[in-house]
Amino acid sequence: MLNGLDIEGNSPLHRMPVRGKLILLFAAAIGLFLVSDLRILVPALGLSAFLYLSTGIGFREALRRVRFVLFTVLLVAAANYAFHSLHEALVVLCRLSALVLLAAAVTATTSISAFMDEITRLLRPLERFGFVRAADVSLAVGLVIRFVPEIFARYGEIADAHRARGLPVRPLTTLVPLIILTLKDADTIAMAIDARGFRRH
Amino acid sequence: MTTRDIVLVALFAAIIVVLGLLPPLTLGFIPVPITAQTLGVMLAGCILGARRGAAAVLLVLLLVAIGLPVLSGGRGGLAVFAGPTAGYLVGWFFGAYVCGLIAERFVREDQPELAQFLAFLAASVAGGIAVVYLFGIPWLAYMSGKAFFETALASMVFVPGDLIKAFVAMLAGRAVLAGYPLLPQRA
Repeated sequence: MLNGLDIEGNSPLHRMPVRGKLILLFAAAIGLFLVSDLRILVPALGLSAFLYLSTGIGFREALRRVRFVLFTVLLVAAANYAFHSLHEALVVLCRLSALVLLAAAVTATTSISAFMDEITRLLRPLERFGFVRAADVSLAVGLVIRFVPEIFARYGEIADAHRARGLPVRPLTTLVPLIILTLKDADTIAMAIDARGFRRH
Repeated sequence: MTTRDIVLVALFAAIIVVLGLLPPLTLGFIPVPITAQTLGVMLAGCILGARRGAAAVLLVLLLVAIGLPVLSGGRGGLAVFAGPTAGYLVGWFFGAYVCGLIAERFVREDQPELAQFLAFLAASVAGGIAVVYLFGIPWLAYMSGKAFFETALASMVFVPGDLIKAFVAMLAGRAVLAGYPLLPQRA
């Protein structure tokens, strides 16, 4: 049910280390906001689109993933066109779409485990000060991925139970039992984790 | 955090993800369909309290960032944080925290029912709406270039839907407090 958004491949972006990609993305974001010259922004948008499509993602899938964010970008650009000028609208459109496509390219070329490794490494300095334990974060991520299908199925059961009793399926009457039933599992799951000694102190 | 707290945070994050998988609710009297996911942000604060609630939201945002399509409509990946509405996502984290702080401070199990309802409503409106917009609107305004005022104004169309969610969060928060209280055990 929960599959990552990374695409298998061997493009230059795939081979780049995660940290390098994130630093470049961050630098690109700052650069795009410093520039408001269309002679730079239009080629930048072209380059981002090329990088995104060079990850081996099909055009249709590429568009499906970013269409919602691009839609909000388009709305913002339309507002600029309506209340200011076409030039402003084009600047905002190119800047934001380029950034969105670059970010999508990083996501498409980085597997979830590679991201988690990088996050564990980034958390290590925090761990030294006792803020958070990196192992706990990966445990929590694993638990979410494990339990989403189960909770989704439970929602289906609660909705079915409503229909069987001839009750309308209302958000409130399904939400409360869903939350209580789910959170009640916490004790047994926590016990199971402690019994296996996953979190050594 | 104890193991139980980590499990509660993870399970609540999973509930927020599931809320995004459900079809959006359409209510007759407002035109915009409501996604239940922001309701999860209010509920995280109202049910788990400040620290655990904010941690649950942060966990969802982490899943988004590492490329899982866990936001409503199957959205996910770093592109979401690059878009003009990313400020609202950042606001979720602080919103859940503030919501939890207010709920922890003002909700007591021995209160009359009405006082509990009002405290949960105040927590949901302050944390789940005010704080979320406080981060969302300046971010959107900055990303919008010159039309910052117009886009900020346009985002107000979501307020009625959010008020309905705050009301649902109030009812659900109080019902969960009656059925399985977690808020009093401060973490």
